[in-house]
Amino acid sequence: MNPNDLQIAEIWVYLSGSPLFALILTLTAYQVGSFFYQKTDRNPLANPVAIAVILVAIALYLVDMPYQKYFEGAQFVHFLLGTATVSLAIPIYRGVAALKARVFPLLIALLCGGVVSIVSAVGVATFLGADSAIIGAFYPKSVTAPIAMGVAERLGVSPTLTAVFAVITGIIGAILGSHILNLLGMKQWWQRGFAIGVAAHGIGTSRAFAVHPEAGTYASLAMGLHGILGALLIPLLKNYI
Amino acid sequence: MISGLVQILLWQGLGELISHFFLPIIPGPVLGLVFLLIFLIIKGHVNPSLALVSDAFSQHLGVLFIPAAVGVILFLPQLKANAFAVISALLVSVVATIVVTAVVLRFISKKDSHESQ
Repeated sequence: MNPNDLQIAEIWVYLSGSPLFALILTLTAYQVGSFFYQKTDRNPLANPVAIAVILVAIALYLVDMPYQKYFEGAQFVHFLLGTATVSLAIPIYRGVAALKARVFPLLIALLCGGVVSIVSAVGVATFLGADSAIIGAFYPKSVTAPIAMGVAERLGVSPTLTAVFAVITGIIGAILGSHILNLLGMKQWWQRGFAIGVAAHGIGTSRAFAVHPEAGTYASLAMGLHGILGALLIPLLKNYI
Repeated sequence: MISGLVQILLWQGLGELISHFFLPIIPGPVLGLVFLLIFLIIKGHVNPSLALVSDAFSQHLGVLFIPAAVGVILFLPQLKANAFAVISALLVSVVATIVVTAVVLRFISKKDSHESQ
């Protein structure tokens, strides 16, 4: 090996040994994802998280870095999930004014939607013979990802699979939501937004805001309430099904 | 900004403590969220530094679950083997959830508005 190569190898060993590499990789990938998301006029298929995950996975493969080592560095980002979860109280609080007038229909619809999201996913996956590790991750998947991952940890199912299923759920909901609601002949923006928020959490909410502000407000309220109720009720449901 | 972050971390800490000692089935941050929400409802307003931190988080919430989601590379063989079941379950679940939530909401609020008329 010539001295030049050795030097580069040493720099690489130094960089990959510190959290810096994982942090740069994570944030840059997200930046690229956000760029495409903006460029495609917020097309749900160009979801910045999905793009970032694929880019990071390819980068890790190229530099031959094991996932555990990447996570060691990226755990500083991961740690903030809990803090971000607590801060969801503020958008929920802002939506509470909208809730007051319609508390009864909204809560009943949320409970029905939440139960259906779990029973249908778990039912179909069980019927088609999926592994139990995968089925477990379906329980919290309709809840917003930061809360879903916390719930998954407590249930003893994989937070990773839960996060991936939650993101895919959000993307499907954001793509199909408007079409389904049109087929049903739903005309009220608040009802449309709330249904999207229950089914497709943050990604659906961002879509709902793009369509109509009232739909967005109710979607974000639905996402927050589903998060809280999900965290309280999913563990009970999973133990008794 | 810092004061908002401190407030949120304190609520998170309280949530983690209660979760650890009394309610291990509920994640600490979710309890922190509930406590902060109750606090805000009682207090009646959000202070600006808290709002600043929360807006920053909610704008870029997605970046925070990238590290865990990349772990999907460890599950690729398992997901491949179950690809059909996973995709069907997710599709059916999303469609069913939207339909049920929307129809229930429309049905109940129609009934409500008839009663009040």
